[in-house]
Amino acid sequence: MFYIHSSSCIWAQQFLFDDVATNLQEPVEKKMYAVEPSYSNIPPAILRRMGKAVRLTVGAAIPLVENNEKPNGIIIGTTNAGKDDCVKFLNQILEYNEGMLTPMNFVQSTPNAPAAQIGLLTKNYGYNITHSQLGLSFEYAILDADMMLEENPTHNYILGAVDELSEYNFIFQEKLGTYKNENTTLAQLYNSNTKGCIAGEGAAIFYVNKNKIGATAKLVGIDTLHTEDENILQEKFILFLNTNKINSNDIDLFLSGENGDNRLDKFYNIITDNISNNSTTARYKHLSGDFPTATSIALWLASNIVHTQVLPSILINKDCKKSVYKNILIYNNYNGLQHSFMLVSVVG
Amino acid sequence: MGKIVVTGMGVISAIGNNVTENRHALIEGKSGISTLEMFPSKFVGSLPVGEIKISDNTFIKNLQVKEQGISRTTLLALHAFNEAVADSNLSGKQISSFDTAFITASTVGGMCHTDMMYNDAKIDTAGSPFISSYEYAATSLYLQKRFSLQGHVNTINTACSSSANAIMYGAKLIKSGRANRVIVGGVDSLAKFTINGFNALHILSAKPCTPFDEERTGLNLGEAAAFIVLEKEEDATHKKNYATLSGYSNANDSYHASTLSNEANGPYFAMKAALEAANLLPSQINYVNAHGTSTENNDLIESIAMLKLFENAPLFSSTKANTGHTLGAAAAVEAVYCILNLYHQELYGALRFYNPIATTKLAPIQAYTKIPLSHVMSNSFGFGGNCSSLIFSKI
Repeated sequence: MFYIHSSSCIWAQQFLFDDVATNLQEPVEKKMYAVEPSYSNIPPAILRRMGKAVRLTVGAAIPLVENNEKPNGIIIGTTNAGKDDCVKFLNQILEYNEGMLTPMNFVQSTPNAPAAQIGLLTKNYGYNITHSQLGLSFEYAILDADMMLEENPTHNYILGAVDELSEYNFIFQEKLGTYKNENTTLAQLYNSNTKGCIAGEGAAIFYVNKNKIGATAKLVGIDTLHTEDENILQEKFILFLNTNKINSNDIDLFLSGENGDNRLDKFYNIITDNISNNSTTARYKHLSGDFPTATSIALWLASNIVHTQVLPSILINKDCKKSVYKNILIYNNYNGLQHSFMLVSVVG
Repeated sequence: MGKIVVTGMGVISAIGNNVTENRHALIEGKSGISTLEMFPSKFVGSLPVGEIKISDNTFIKNLQVKEQGISRTTLLALHAFNEAVADSNLSGKQISSFDTAFITASTVGGMCHTDMMYNDAKIDTAGSPFISSYEYAATSLYLQKRFSLQGHVNTINTACSSSANAIMYGAKLIKSGRANRVIVGGVDSLAKFTINGFNALHILSAKPCTPFDEERTGLNLGEAAAFIVLEKEEDATHKKNYATLSGYSNANDSYHASTLSNEANGPYFAMKAALEAANLLPSQINYVNAHGTSTENNDLIESIAMLKLFENAPLFSSTKANTGHTLGAAAAVEAVYCILNLYHQELYGALRFYNPIATTKLAPIQAYTKIPLSHVMSNSFGFGGNCSSLIFSKI
């Protein structure tokens, strides 16, 4: 696979890995909005015209582009980028009875806008692509980066994901039964034993290449599948461990994508049943909320944990007092159908 | 590794419900542009579009779709998917196998049901059966379930170049050993959403479009679905090989959200890199299926890019005059047409071309021609500067 050299994340929390987590944001009415920076690196006139997903992505990506050699391309996964503008344009169509409409919402409604805007603002003529496979959008972006780097081992890529939480996509997901009926707190989320999760948003961006020198983390393997069958999940998980030549005892940390939805417990149990009791387990969606590309937050956390060897206590579920975090397993389940595994390791 | 070959094709567009009908319409120079009629809109009876005159209910019946809330986009995709896998003789077991990938593309998804979506976005309404169909991934998830697909299933959205990138992604999965066969392409339905979007941008033509004509007045939207099956040459010795996918590339114009740069950087870089990937010289390209939307901006800039890359511009045309601009399906539809060009060694005459653009003076091929063709290129350029080119070659 490849190495992560630097990363940047805009999400619902602000904490550093050399610090104890303080000022944690709690969910409000089942929503966790990103804490947005001042975006001092984006010209104000341009910033005003950006939709939220574009703002989050560009805000996270620009420092990485500025501090590294010019990337050969930009690879983004997203499901919700532009949804807010999309519904705003829809409202224009119906409320003005298909009259003379302003095109800004329409232009900004395209989910390829975040990748395109990074390309535009950083004058990048290279590979530029957007994957939109719901809960596997980021995973297919990763796989794309992996294939590009296999073909071009000297290249560097900006790889990342974004999803925005807008009034409208919350309404759609609420009607689909994605969220909890009741309000919850950060501390209570995993103990609720009810259906549904809380909504979140964020962007995590990575500068990746095949060069070990100076890297902060290594992405060793990734796999995905679509299934509602726990047995197929189990088979595929064991295959994933075998393919990546990792013994389940060597997983120091399992970073779980649990989101407090009790309908998904059976899938997460498959993973915990198939790894060692000696693995520390951690969770993060109480801090981020859930959204289709939340695994980008997981990869950002995991790459920082192997780099700093600090596991923030707010993430810990079961602490096995590991002296070192060498291998981290990430498993995520979206909607009971879309599964992904990632293995992140220290730079050997 | 060896070559990647095309072993199956499926397409439905305004000029035909399958590959054979599309080819005959192209040979006969049939235009699929008519006025909008299949869904309620202010533009019904006046706006020229490339519409498929088959109702959702007819598709639901013919395709034996039992589930509620399946969008027209998904129905079109299923129709073309069925033709492609049958044409390639893939068994049910092969279709669902872990080494078969399905990569699609869409820019509209279930938003073709624009009024329904408007209601579903209101806080005080109950969700309609279409509520989960609006996602771009909804089509792939329906086909995943219907065919029990176990391999990679992905959806790409790079606006109007989406399905070129879906084809590329599938080819890369084969090349890197992550799949042995891929079903790749894209789909988009006509929608009140896109009609009003392009209208707000003032790039819809009030009459049937005239790609590369000096007096062109904008594009016609269309709807279509197209998929091709790609396999390794060594796995496909026992079956029909239509063409090889010999080169592809993706570049960004890095200029503006909805217009191409005067320098034609994105289109030029995309075409040039596809040639390099195919290890071909510009002079070896016999024909270009241009993006050719018939907008003021696209056709001029694409002409500039061709003149910059090719010493003598090759034969070219835009089949969007036949089908309309089918957005996320366009590159897949045009890939099918390029493959037909190679397989039958023929080119189709451009429709409604009268006078070349004054500054570039390029004229598309205007009559049906039997001609030896070795390599053909297909261009697709999208909003956000997302430019892609594919090259197909004769077996």
